[in-house]
Amino acid sequence: MTTAAEASTGSNGSEETHDERLAYRGIFQRVLVRPEIGAVIAAVGVWVFFWAVAEPFGRASGAASILDVAASPLGIMAVAVAMLMIGGEFDLSSGAATGALGIVTILLVRDVSGEMAGAGFSLWVALPLSLAIALALGWFNGTMVNRTSLPSFIVTLGSFFVLKGAKLGFSKLIVEQIQVGTLDDLADYAETTGASDKGYGFLNTLFAAEWDRRSHIWEARDNIYLLGTFLGLALVIIGVFELHHRRAERGIPAGYAGAGLGLVSVLFGINTLHSTDSVSGNWTGSLLILAGMTVGLIGLSAARYHPLSDRSLALPTGAVTSFGLGVVALAGSIIAAAMIDSQNSENISWLGLVTVQGGRAILFVSLAGAALVLFLIGVNRARRSSIAGGGLLLAVTALSVAGTAFFVRAESQTPKFRTQAFSFMLMAAAIMLVWAIASMLFERRSSTGHERTGLALVGSGFVLALVGLGARLLYVTQSELDAGITKTGYSVRILWFAGFTAVCTWVLTRTRFGSWTYAVGGNKQASRQVGVPANRTKVQLFMLVSFAAWLVGVLLAFRLNTIQASTGDGEEFEYIIAAVVGGTALTGGYGSTLGAAIGAFIMAMSVQGIPSARWNSDWRFLFIGTILLLAAIGNNYIRGKAEAAR
Amino acid sequence: MTKRFRWLAALLAIVLFAAACGDDTNDSGEAADESGDAGDNGEAVDQTQGGDLTFHMITHSDDGPFWSVVKRGAEAAADALGVTLVWMPGNNDPGQMVTDIETAIGEGSDGIAASLPSPDQLVGPLQQAVAEGIPVYTLNSGANDYQAIGATTHIGQSEDVAGRGAGLRFNELGATKVLCGRQEQSNVGLEERCSGLKETFDGEVIDEFVGLDADQTEQINGIKAVLEANPDIDGFLGVGPVIAMSGLQAAQDLGIDLVIGGFDMTPELLGAIEAGDIAFTVDQQQYLQGYLPVVLMFLEATNLNQAGGGLPVLTGPGFVTPENAAGVLALSEAGTR
Amino acid sequence: MSDTPLLELDNIGKYYGNIIALQGVTTEVHAGQVTCVLGDNGAGKSTFIKILAGVHKHDQGEFRLEGNPVSFNSPREALSSGIAAVYQDLAMVPLMSVWRNFFLGSEPTKGRWPVEWIDKSFAKQTAKEEMAKMGIDIRDTEQPVGTLSGGERQSVAIARAVYFGAKVLILDEPTSALGVKQSGVVLRYILEAARRGLGVIFITHNPNHAFPVGDRFLILNRGRSMGNFAKDEISQSELTSLMAGGAELEALQHELSQG
Repeated sequence: MTTAAEASTGSNGSEETHDERLAYRGIFQRVLVRPEIGAVIAAVGVWVFFWAVAEPFGRASGAASILDVAASPLGIMAVAVAMLMIGGEFDLSSGAATGALGIVTILLVRDVSGEMAGAGFSLWVALPLSLAIALALGWFNGTMVNRTSLPSFIVTLGSFFVLKGAKLGFSKLIVEQIQVGTLDDLADYAETTGASDKGYGFLNTLFAAEWDRRSHIWEARDNIYLLGTFLGLALVIIGVFELHHRRAERGIPAGYAGAGLGLVSVLFGINTLHSTDSVSGNWTGSLLILAGMTVGLIGLSAARYHPLSDRSLALPTGAVTSFGLGVVALAGSIIAAAMIDSQNSENISWLGLVTVQGGRAILFVSLAGAALVLFLIGVNRARRSSIAGGGLLLAVTALSVAGTAFFVRAESQTPKFRTQAFSFMLMAAAIMLVWAIASMLFERRSSTGHERTGLALVGSGFVLALVGLGARLLYVTQSELDAGITKTGYSVRILWFAGFTAVCTWVLTRTRFGSWTYAVGGNKQASRQVGVPANRTKVQLFMLVSFAAWLVGVLLAFRLNTIQASTGDGEEFEYIIAAVVGGTALTGGYGSTLGAAIGAFIMAMSVQGIPSARWNSDWRFLFIGTILLLAAIGNNYIRGKAEAAR
Repeated sequence: MTKRFRWLAALLAIVLFAAACGDDTNDSGEAADESGDAGDNGEAVDQTQGGDLTFHMITHSDDGPFWSVVKRGAEAAADALGVTLVWMPGNNDPGQMVTDIETAIGEGSDGIAASLPSPDQLVGPLQQAVAEGIPVYTLNSGANDYQAIGATTHIGQSEDVAGRGAGLRFNELGATKVLCGRQEQSNVGLEERCSGLKETFDGEVIDEFVGLDADQTEQINGIKAVLEANPDIDGFLGVGPVIAMSGLQAAQDLGIDLVIGGFDMTPELLGAIEAGDIAFTVDQQQYLQGYLPVVLMFLEATNLNQAGGGLPVLTGPGFVTPENAAGVLALSEAGTR
Repeated sequence: MSDTPLLELDNIGKYYGNIIALQGVTTEVHAGQVTCVLGDNGAGKSTFIKILAGVHKHDQGEFRLEGNPVSFNSPREALSSGIAAVYQDLAMVPLMSVWRNFFLGSEPTKGRWPVEWIDKSFAKQTAKEEMAKMGIDIRDTEQPVGTLSGGERQSVAIARAVYFGAKVLILDEPTSALGVKQSGVVLRYILEAARRGLGVIFITHNPNHAFPVGDRFLILNRGRSMGNFAKDEISQSELTSLMAGGAELEALQHELSQG
């Protein structure tokens, strides 16, 4: 725990060193310096925005559509392209390659007999063969870039045109069509003749299986959902408390009793809320939960954490200014919402792009969001000079959020706002309030070490919440089914996407290859000097992209049974945009695959949100462009802030 | 290392060879007619009097499924009549088409058939061709401008008329609210199809751009999003063959029944019509748009006939429905429908 | 002072065709000592480094490592013999973290191919320890090298070379791009490396940087040695004037030959 032991204990220790450079980075700062954090915030922002203005956004079917668009081809390709970009290269042929490899796969499978000829291989031969062709393509791109020392932009632009031409040429040469189909002939053939389907059935499951929500009934679903999200949230909060606060040498053991009491109270409150519909019941439940949270968390803190020594109160002007601006923005949002007619569903005439209701929602959500951001900036500024000041402002922020929640409940016509947004905002307000109180009473942690508990709590909290959410999205109850909900299918492509992202993230952050990827993108010369096989790494990255293109091509082939020659042409820029929105630098050497995956989600939400909100599709690209620009700017801003905070 | 490169060289050689083969097959019309007719088929020239006639067909063709049928029609007509046909695909680039028209005039063409995707740029050069005494026909697009050019007639389908035909079909099939899905954001022809639908269809029409053909995943989900936002939609008109299939996929994904109509044809679309999943497709019989101009130009050059009587010659709309799908499918696979 | 020098150069010379890049250079490097190589631009310093680091072979004289004559075919060979060069550009990736840079190209791994991953905790701890041994406390080995000061970056490069088994450390102009204060920091790292038993070759054009840390001085000018002195054989002012005088002499000769 002291300087003497520091050299030998390495990463632990170094707590009391009198070196201002050794300031401990707290949980929030550590989260903020991750390259994908900007993308996460942008994704949440876009989701909240569309959730507010588009009806299907809160529903399972909406989620399924977004996942579908985000997963394949966009997401898988964005992740691979992000890795290549981190390695300092581009692949403009990646879009065209997706279609080309799908076509190759189908052509290899198609029967020789008949007018439209193909190679007639079994799928078990065709898939590895087309994969080999894909890898050869990547190898070719990478080797050309290395050998010629030309920018990969030029080299792969060449391969793009070659692929584009080859797709059209070969399709027409062999099947005399620009569409190549069909894989499910195999299944049909097997059905009619009783012969083997050459493994089509199994592979179809592997590449195109679908989970139809309507055929999975689970009555306990809502309980799992509630339990999972609430317990998960509680664990995350406790974990963050644990990570954020300094452990006391001797706490007050009675605090644990308070924590237990609080938990009981919260559970009781939830039960009250769940079993009653009356206004007084709701009030009782909510107050029970709030009181339980406060008592529980403060009790836990008293038992475990060190009390705050410096409680001086000071509010710097900067903090007051941004807080004041926040108040103005909040007032503006409330006035706007109150002034505009909430009943009017006509289009706003001068543009005809949104309805009056929609415009009201947009105005309100944007202004209120801006107010929240300004509030939090104020809190952050205040905290730098005085912990108590920051806590005070945070408490005021919490109360404003609660107040806005009641305003939304009173003013809004849609049930979505009246119930979901209301409860969510109240919950957020409660969490902020308790946090504010705790931060004024207990000291912040200033050293590393003993983080296992906190990290484990946060981690298991997220897992629990995901399980709860997953149950909610994947299953239906009998009553919903009776009410006649629409079909919602989740395809296996989502799993491919998740798996691919997970593997790529692991490779990028944990393996030598990942390190080398960052190195060749950041400084190729330097990495060669220390023995990194720079050229080989780049070739492998190009091969990774073409592997992803093959995967996407096969997924498409199994989904549509036909692929047309233009498939994927021009899509490569979407992959690059998704990667950049996700925090990957165009100059190489910086970025994250997780960020690229989230970038794909942002794009998918933008694409899906506009028709979902029933906006005029003429303005679609204007909206998408604006959203992407905002996401990229916000991302950049947050990253700059985070880097400065190092 | 060297071994690797030998392998690479072999691969390259294959690619180049294949590309060369592709060229041969694709441009057979041009190549065969230019060399074959002038040389080997010398005798045929005297008999038909067509051997020294050269016609230019200048279109915005992208050599996609639609235009390759037009091309086959034109080639078949040129073969039958023993004339030379120069097929000049503009690939949606009006600048290229202007150059091609000027080339044709410079070569002393005996007849020019051109499509007019963007009249502003193309009317001028074609008027010049007329002034040079070259017979001019418009095909596919240009119904509003052929008279201004001084062209003999226009051979094609009016998009508007085709859309109206689709509207009547939807009325017959009992649809009440139709989504007219477009695969391009700004294409006058596609918008005219949708506005034609609005004119004759009795119910409500929602007209939306839902995603490019190049990204069918997005297209399918775009359609799904509109369908979910408007649950009372019971019909879908895709103004292209790919988007029609996307509409079918979207409906299947959502587990709902839609009356689906499409435009133009691919084997998949015809298969779906045959199976009864898609109700109809509007067929503008583009084979005629290739075949007829060559015949009409030939007759004008050899017999001074002028067809059309100042009105356009319509090639559609024809409809492919479950009743005639099987026959059309066979012809489509042969490449003439 | 030990008997056999760690590294010994006896009348070394190098030609590129007709051009004499280096001629008659003699010096020695002892373990735990700093040998400074001084010279203005074009004096032959880079040729000198390249011979030592195995990029070029010498054409003349003898190059002895711990008493045995050697001639390297590649930088890798020199490196495995314990001669590590830290170049001006440092071979660092600015956007990558300290520990990743420290181990770049030689990452310690766990597991077995194909499931093989970097032993992150070992790497981070070792990087921190090795840096601490150089007397520098990195607040967080996860921070990008680009956020370090120039002197700290030098120390990462030096610590890396030491950790990977260097016996002789060649530092190419480590202070040239730095301010006065940072230069002082780097000079301290040089002494620290020598104190830990390495032979250090410190290449610079600044006699004020060289004199305080050097045990031996080799002065180069236009590819020739202008002298090879132990510390007690020369004073700082003599060193400075030798460098400056050499240049003046050169200029004078040039004028005379023209006139």
